[in-house]
Amino acid sequence: MSAYTNEQVAHLVEGSLDWETTFRMLSMPKDNSRFEQYLKALQAKVTFPDKIVLPLGPHLYIVQSAKTKQWVTMCDCGHEFGDYRENWKLNAAIYVRDTEEAMTEVYPKLMAPDTQWQVYREYYCPTCGTMHDVEAPTPWYPVIHDFEPDIEAFYKEWVGLPVPEKAA
Amino acid sequence: MEVQQAASQVQVMGIDAGGTMTDTFFVRADGRFVVGKAQSNPGDESLAIFNSSQDALAHWGREVDDVYPELVTCVYSGTAMLNRILMRKGLDVGLICNRGFEQIHSMGRALQSYLGYALEDRIHLNTHRYDEPLVPVSRTRGVTERTDVQGKVVIPLREDEVRQATRELVEAGSQAIVICLLQSHKNEVSEQRARDVVKDELKKLKVDVPVFASVDYYPSRKESHRMNTTILEAYGAEPSRQTLKKVSDRFKKHGAKFDLRVMATHGGTISWKAKELARTIVSGPIGGVIGSKLLGEYLGDENIACSDIGGTSFDVALITKGSFAIKSDPDMARLVLSLPLVAMDSVGAGAGSFVRLDPYSKSIKLGPDSAGYRVGTCWPESGLDTVSVSDCHVVLGYLNPDNFLGGAIKLDVQRARDHIKAQIADPLGLSVEDAAAGVIELLDLTLSEYLRANISAKGYNPAEFTCFSYGGAGPVHTYGYTEGVGFKDVVVPAWAAGFSAFGCACADFEYRYDKSVDLGVAQFAADADKAAACASLQEAWEELAVKVIDEFVINGYKPEDVLLILGYKMQYMGQLNDLEIVSPVSTAATAADWDQIIDAFENTYGRVYANSARSPELGFSITGAILRGMVVTQKPVLPEDPDCGPTPPKEAYLGTRPFYRHKRWVEAALWKMESLKAGNHIVGPAIIESDATTFVVPDGFETTVDKHRLFHLKEVK
Repeated sequence: MSAYTNEQVAHLVEGSLDWETTFRMLSMPKDNSRFEQYLKALQAKVTFPDKIVLPLGPHLYIVQSAKTKQWVTMCDCGHEFGDYRENWKLNAAIYVRDTEEAMTEVYPKLMAPDTQWQVYREYYCPTCGTMHDVEAPTPWYPVIHDFEPDIEAFYKEWVGLPVPEKAA
Repeated sequence: MEVQQAASQVQVMGIDAGGTMTDTFFVRADGRFVVGKAQSNPGDESLAIFNSSQDALAHWGREVDDVYPELVTCVYSGTAMLNRILMRKGLDVGLICNRGFEQIHSMGRALQSYLGYALEDRIHLNTHRYDEPLVPVSRTRGVTERTDVQGKVVIPLREDEVRQATRELVEAGSQAIVICLLQSHKNEVSEQRARDVVKDELKKLKVDVPVFASVDYYPSRKESHRMNTTILEAYGAEPSRQTLKKVSDRFKKHGAKFDLRVMATHGGTISWKAKELARTIVSGPIGGVIGSKLLGEYLGDENIACSDIGGTSFDVALITKGSFAIKSDPDMARLVLSLPLVAMDSVGAGAGSFVRLDPYSKSIKLGPDSAGYRVGTCWPESGLDTVSVSDCHVVLGYLNPDNFLGGAIKLDVQRARDHIKAQIADPLGLSVEDAAAGVIELLDLTLSEYLRANISAKGYNPAEFTCFSYGGAGPVHTYGYTEGVGFKDVVVPAWAAGFSAFGCACADFEYRYDKSVDLGVAQFAADADKAAACASLQEAWEELAVKVIDEFVINGYKPEDVLLILGYKMQYMGQLNDLEIVSPVSTAATAADWDQIIDAFENTYGRVYANSARSPELGFSITGAILRGMVVTQKPVLPEDPDCGPTPPKEAYLGTRPFYRHKRWVEAALWKMESLKAGNHIVGPAIIESDATTFVVPDGFETTVDKHRLFHLKEVK
């Protein structure tokens, strides 16, 4: 199997990997050790002591709390969004673009959706202000819970790694 | 390869300068040949050719200085031009186009983002990527002008803008200027005017920069194709000409009197001094098709499936009724182009392909990348640790580990075994032999399905075809990918490894020029309409004839030496695919001429598709005029050996080697290819070895050498 160095995977995460290697990675079946290496590269980038269990976004992770061993959703900056089974968005700072004026900040006039039909909901970290997600639902739609990962099954059955310890 | 006492003049030389090896092929007047190999030298190709020639001629005990002056003809094919484009190491070109279309070249065609990809990657959007454009937007200028699709000038050219653009492009450091305006293939007036204005302005600036107008080079419809091709000419052709000049100069230094020719995409050869060198961008693989055509003529085979298996890919081309198909808008180096190209299909699986297991499905995957010149893990110096197809061959006894490339490198069977065991056999719970045999079977199956699909998809029956198998690795797999396909005959030339170089030497000295035309005539049109269409076609031919004859004049030929072959592309009006037809008339003028032109098309259409599919009620369109011009050249002759009976001579027998296939080890007889005589018959399991290639004849197969040193492979029923 193709094996990649931790350095190459770190470059992949940074977007600075050369195209030939990136292309080969994209075309080939994923190598067995990739997830482990990926976690390692991510862990090296963050400053918090908690162990990353699963990445959720470019700056958002499910981590094992160093103190409590509970699994929580966490921002790059270390801000906690609560239990990983709960919708982290409910604990985020929310900005809703539901007026034409707010829409024209991000789109040219007349090229944005009619806010009677569609609004943008932006979710920010209350501590560092990183934007973690944007939803584009109809105005009355509840906050979307993107997904609740089955981490145990993923570790055991997909990547063949021991499941990190979890306090109830 | 052949040693004979009677010294006969060496007449023909073919060169295939590939990415890793430079092959040369020399043929004597009596048909004897030698193949030479040397490592390629991208810095100075002429040196690699010289080394390769020395290697070849050593077989005859002759020297380069002594043979070059004897040569009558020499054809070069190589990848230098292609590499220059791929590495983006061409000239800084400036581009003048219609105002408002300045981004067209950088945007490219969407399909350019996945050209050259395997199917899995084409449908995998994440892998799509646009290459760096040959000309950046910073060296592109738009000028106001518009010619409509009918060729009517709607907005005349603003000449002051052309002058301004020229000044800016020179200022930006352009080393060449390309002009490509919309619809210029329909009406060339604006573009030609722009060209003259640019030249005039350059003169005023006292700057000597070549100017390339698309109408002067590739006046074909499809703007992206035309623009890319003209840019390619400016970008890569001039540096390539320098490379070829260096090659030519080295030949001259060693006493050569011939004029070096280069294999071109249309299947003919052109001079290195030719105006249009972009058409030499791909040449090596075409050589094999030309060589097959010549062999077919010797053997009386009209229908040939040409199969070339190298380290990275498997190329298939079909010759039907003695002619190969031409594709008029091919893609190369991930660019859509308007060049006539010998039609070929490729799949990215070859003898050097890497073998990997999908960790989830546990299925074996071949390629798309390959070990190339590094062979596989069996070569300890390769630095590789991924199993390649060659590793499987070595383990199963197909290849001789002590005589790879004539013993140039030694292969380590145990190293290959260990890697196959760890990477393939153990995860699958198989023995090393069965795992390796599984890989070979998978490759053979992939190739034979590809070959079969290529023939039947075009509406032909394999039983009407002879399959020619060549390329360095071809004869190892011939049995595998032809088994069960049902070919009339399967032929492996003794010089399979140098076959592309041989084919180049077989090609005519031929220029081909194309021009798009749009002529539509109804089925029962009035004679005047037919005559008018003839007049337009004739006009296009005459325009092309000037260009073709000019090319030959550059090489010192007189116009009357040139044999002109007229052709056209025709389709039923409204249909999408045209057919290329050799014209039945030598001039087109009258309604009667038109009727002959139609008849020739309808006969071809009936042959290619079916008589019942003809649709004359739609009317007829001519979409392109073609003109080929050629002069007589010396071609290789094939050896004619006396029949020595079916029993091979004793000295050809080299012993036996264990060989694994169909779940058992057998002792395969080893034969030295060079020592086998015409008429010899060998029944498998046998392996016929030479320096450059290995021909595998497993149990259930037999082969006979004919008088031309061609091996015919048969399944024993």
